[in-house]
Amino acid sequence: MLVFIAKRLLWMVPSLFAVSFLAFALIQLPPGDYVTTYIATLAASNEVIDQNTAAQLRERFGLDDPMLVQYFKWIWGILSRGDFGISFEWQQPVSGLIWERMALTLVLALSTLIATWGIALPIGVFSAVRKYSIGDYFFTAFTFLGLAIPSFLLALVLMYIAAVEFGQDVGGLFSSEFETAPWSIAKVLDLLSHIWLPVIILAVSSTASLIRVMRANMLDELPKPYVTTARAKGLSEFRLLVKYPLRIALNPFISTIAWLLPNLISGSVVVAIVLNLPTAAPLLLQALMAQDMYLAGAFVLLICALTLIGSLISDILLALVDPRIRLE
Amino acid sequence: MRDEILSRGVTRRAVLGGMAGVAALSIAGRVVAAGGEAPAWAQLARDGKLPPLAERLPKKPMVVTPFEKAGTYGGTLRRGLRGSSDHNGILRMVGNQSLVRWNLEFTQVMPNLAERWEINDDASQFTFHLIEGVRWSDGHPFTADDIVFAIEDCVKNSELYSSTPAQLSVAGKAVKVEKIDDFTVKFTFAAANALYLENLATPLGQHPTLFAKHYCSQFLPKYNPNIAEEVKKAGVGSWTDLFRARCGDIEIPSRWGNPDKPTLDPWIVKEPYSGGATRVVMTRNPYFWQVDTQGNQLPYIDEINFSISQDVESLMLNVISGKIDIQERHISVLSNKPTLSQNMEKGGYRLLSLVPSASQQCQIYFNMTHKDPALRKMFADKAFRQALSLAINRQELIDIVYFGQSEAYQAGPRPEHPWYHEKLARQFSEYDPDKAGAMLDQAGYKMDGSGLRLRPDGQKVFFAVDVIPTLYPDLVDALELVKAHWAQIGIEMKVNTIERALYYTRGDDNAHDAAVWPGPGGLDPMLDPRDFFAFHPQGSRYAIPWSLWYTSNGARGEEPPESQKKRMKLFDDARSTADLSKRGAIMTQIFDIAADEFETVGLCLAVGGFGIIRNNLHNVPEKQPDSWSWPNPGPALPQQFSFTS
Repeated sequence: MLVFIAKRLLWMVPSLFAVSFLAFALIQLPPGDYVTTYIATLAASNEVIDQNTAAQLRERFGLDDPMLVQYFKWIWGILSRGDFGISFEWQQPVSGLIWERMALTLVLALSTLIATWGIALPIGVFSAVRKYSIGDYFFTAFTFLGLAIPSFLLALVLMYIAAVEFGQDVGGLFSSEFETAPWSIAKVLDLLSHIWLPVIILAVSSTASLIRVMRANMLDELPKPYVTTARAKGLSEFRLLVKYPLRIALNPFISTIAWLLPNLISGSVVVAIVLNLPTAAPLLLQALMAQDMYLAGAFVLLICALTLIGSLISDILLALVDPRIRLE
Repeated sequence: MRDEILSRGVTRRAVLGGMAGVAALSIAGRVVAAGGEAPAWAQLARDGKLPPLAERLPKKPMVVTPFEKAGTYGGTLRRGLRGSSDHNGILRMVGNQSLVRWNLEFTQVMPNLAERWEINDDASQFTFHLIEGVRWSDGHPFTADDIVFAIEDCVKNSELYSSTPAQLSVAGKAVKVEKIDDFTVKFTFAAANALYLENLATPLGQHPTLFAKHYCSQFLPKYNPNIAEEVKKAGVGSWTDLFRARCGDIEIPSRWGNPDKPTLDPWIVKEPYSGGATRVVMTRNPYFWQVDTQGNQLPYIDEINFSISQDVESLMLNVISGKIDIQERHISVLSNKPTLSQNMEKGGYRLLSLVPSASQQCQIYFNMTHKDPALRKMFADKAFRQALSLAINRQELIDIVYFGQSEAYQAGPRPEHPWYHEKLARQFSEYDPDKAGAMLDQAGYKMDGSGLRLRPDGQKVFFAVDVIPTLYPDLVDALELVKAHWAQIGIEMKVNTIERALYYTRGDDNAHDAAVWPGPGGLDPMLDPRDFFAFHPQGSRYAIPWSLWYTSNGARGEEPPESQKKRMKLFDDARSTADLSKRGAIMTQIFDIAADEFETVGLCLAVGGFGIIRNNLHNVPEKQPDSWSWPNPGPALPQQFSFTS
C-alpha cells in the first residue's frame, strides 16, 4: 500500500507540469490578451483608454514575450520562491488572492458533499428496497424535477422569494458586519447561517442523480445469492443491507471523490455568480475572461493538484471499502 | 478672461434646456459664516484627535449650492459595482476632483480646485489659481508643488508612462508645468490647445490632482534612494509596479486599493477594492474642502457602501427590494424599465432619466480599407452605402427593438445641440427599397436569377457585420432586422456575433468586413468625432488604418484620401480655436464634408437610459447627462446628496 501511494505521489509531479502547461496554453488561446480585454471592458461602459496606454501596458506585463518564455518565467517563480506572479487586473500578488477563496470553496464543497450524500444515500437505499412503492414513486418524481431545474434558475427563484417576499438579505456567505472581520466563532456561525442556501441549491441536482445511481446499484446487488445467504443465516435486515450490498453500491460514490472538487468549482460557477458567493469560481471565471493569465493559471493549477490528491484518496478508500479491489 | 471662459458655455446652455432649472452652481471665495460639521468629527475635534473645522477647511472654501435644500449629516449610501474591473464605477461617484469640472448641463467648465484661470491668446498657456488652504485627506496642504510633481515627476517620467497621456501633449510634445507661487501654476503647451479646459473636466484630465507629492514621492527613485528595498519588501517586480499599487492611476483598480493614499475626494477608501473583495466602503474625508451655502462642511453622507454583484440580475434584485440608494450603471438598459417601474413602490425609489450624450444607437461601419480589394472597392462605393441605407426600414426597427422611443438618424450632434447638422443627420434615412435597388443596379451590382446581387467580378455580394451580443444585445436584434431588409434587395449579410476581445482584435488587425457600435458625439462632438472623420484607432471602424495614420502623424497606418486629410486638418484647427462660434463654423465644415462622403450608416438616435433614486435620498438631479466625459453622477456633486431620516 505504501509503495503504491509513493508511486502515485511521484507520478503527480509530471502530471502537474503537463497540466500547468496545458492550462497556460489554453488561457492564451483566445484572441487578444489581457490588454485587449481591458480596453474592451472599458469600452463597454463607453470609456476610453488613452491611446498610448495600451502599448505601455503590454510592455509592462511582458505580454510581448513568446508564450513559452512567459510560461517558464511563471513556473520558475512558483518553484523557486512560491511566487505565483502578479494579477494584471488587481496589481496584487496572486497568492494573496487565491487562498481565502480556495478555503471557502473547500468549505462549500465539503458541506455540499455531506448534504448530497446525507440525502441521496438513505433515499437511494429506500427506493431500492421498497421498489415501486408510493415512496419510491414520490422520490423518483422529485429526482426528475431536481435534475430538470437548472440550479442557477433555482438560485434566482429562491433569491427572489427571499428578497422580495421576506425582505431577507440574500447573496454572499456572510452578513455585512462579518464580511471583512477576522475569523471568530461568531463569524463561523454567521457563515453557517448563510451557507445552507447555496448548499441546498448545489445539492439538488447532484442529489437527484446520485439517488438514481444508488437505487440502480442496490437493485443490482439485492437479488444476488450472497444477500439471500446472509438473510437465511438470520442477519437482521438493516445489518444485512449495510454490511454487504451497500458497501458494494458505494463504489461509484467513492471513485468520484476526485471529480467532486473540479465539478463543484466549474459546475457552481453560475450559481456562485448569481448568489454572489466569495468562492473561487467567480474569480476564476473573471480571470479567464480578462485573460489574467497568472491568476487563472494558479487556480487551474490548484484545482488540478486537488483533483490528483482526490483521486489518490478515492483509490485508497476504494481499497478499504470494496473487498473486490486489491492493489496488487 | 475668466468671464470670457464662462461665457463660452452660454451659447451651448440651451442644449439641455430645462434639465436643471436651479443648477447647483458653486463659486469659490464667497464668504460664508463658519458652519457645522458631521457630529462624529465635531466630537473628535472636541477630544483633540482632529484639528477644529476652521483649521481643516480653506479660508475661503468652495461653496456648493445644494440642488434642492441644505442637507443633514449622516447615512450610508448604497450602490452596486459589478464584479471586477468596475473601478470606474467608484471613480464616477467619488473621484471627480479635478482642477475644473463640468456644470450640471454639460455645457460649461466650472472652477473646482482651481478657483480661476487665465488663458493666453493662442490658447497654449493656462495659468491656474488654486483655492488656498485646501488639504489632502491626511491633513497635508495641497499646493502648486503637488501639481508640478504630478506632471513633471510622474506623468512625464518615461519609466512610469512610456509616453505622455494624449491630453497632456500637443504636437507630440509634453506639456510644461511651472510653479508661479504656492497657489499658482502655469501649463505651457507646444502649440494651441483650446480644448484643454474641457478635457481637464473629463476623468482623463485628473492627472494634475491625482498624486500627493508628500506621499507618492516615496515611491520614486528620484526622491527615495532606498526604493529597491521597498520594492523587494512589497514583493513586486519594479518600482513602477509599487508606484501603481500604492498611488494608482486614473482608471485602474488599484486607485481604490490603498486606504493610505491621500486624496482630495469627498470620501476616502476604508475597505479597499482589491481582488476578491465583495464590497468597497468609502468613508467621509475630514479635510474635504467644500461647504454648502450655510458653511456646513460637505459631504453630508457618512459612508458609501459599494456592494459587488457578479451578476446584473442580482443587482436588479437588490434594486427592486430597496437595498440600493442610487444606481444607473449596469441597470440602465431599456429592457429593464418595465421591471424598474413596476417595483417603484415596493423598492421605495423614483426613476432617474439619463440624457444620452451619444448620437447614434447603432452605427454600421463598412470597412472602407478592407484587405480584400473587391470588398474594399464595394464598401468604398458611396452609392452602395447610400443604397443600403435606403433599404433599411428604420421605423419598423425603432418600433420593435426600441419600443418606439427613437427616430431615424444617421450621425452628428443631437437635434437639441447648436451644431445640429440636418443633412448629416437625416439624409438617406427614409425607407425606399425600390430606389435602393435601382441605385445598386446602376452601380453594377446586378441581381442574378435567384434574387441575389452579384459584384462586378461575378461573386455574390456577401459580408459579415461584427457585433458583441453580451455587450449590446439590442444591436443583435437591430442587425437581424437589417439583415431581413437587405435580403429584400438581394444583399446577403451575416450577423457575426463574437466575443468582446475578438471584436477588438479583428478591428486592430483590420480583419472585419463591417462592425456596429453606438455612435458617440451627440452632445460632445469635439471630444469624440470618430464618426465625422477617421479619428479613433479603435472606434473609427470604417477606416482604422486612416485613423492610425492621423494619430501617428503619418508614421503608421495608411494614407487617407484628400477629403479625410482635409477634415483632419480642420479638426486640428478647431482644437486650437478658443472662440466657440469660430470653432462651430470649422466643425460645420467638417460636418458638410462628412455628409457628402456618407461613410457610416446610422440607424436611429441614441435612446436615454434609466436609473433609480431611493425616495429618502435628496439633492439628486433626476435628469442627468449620460457620458464618460461627464461621468455621471459625479458632476451632479454626490457630496451634496443627503438622506432624510
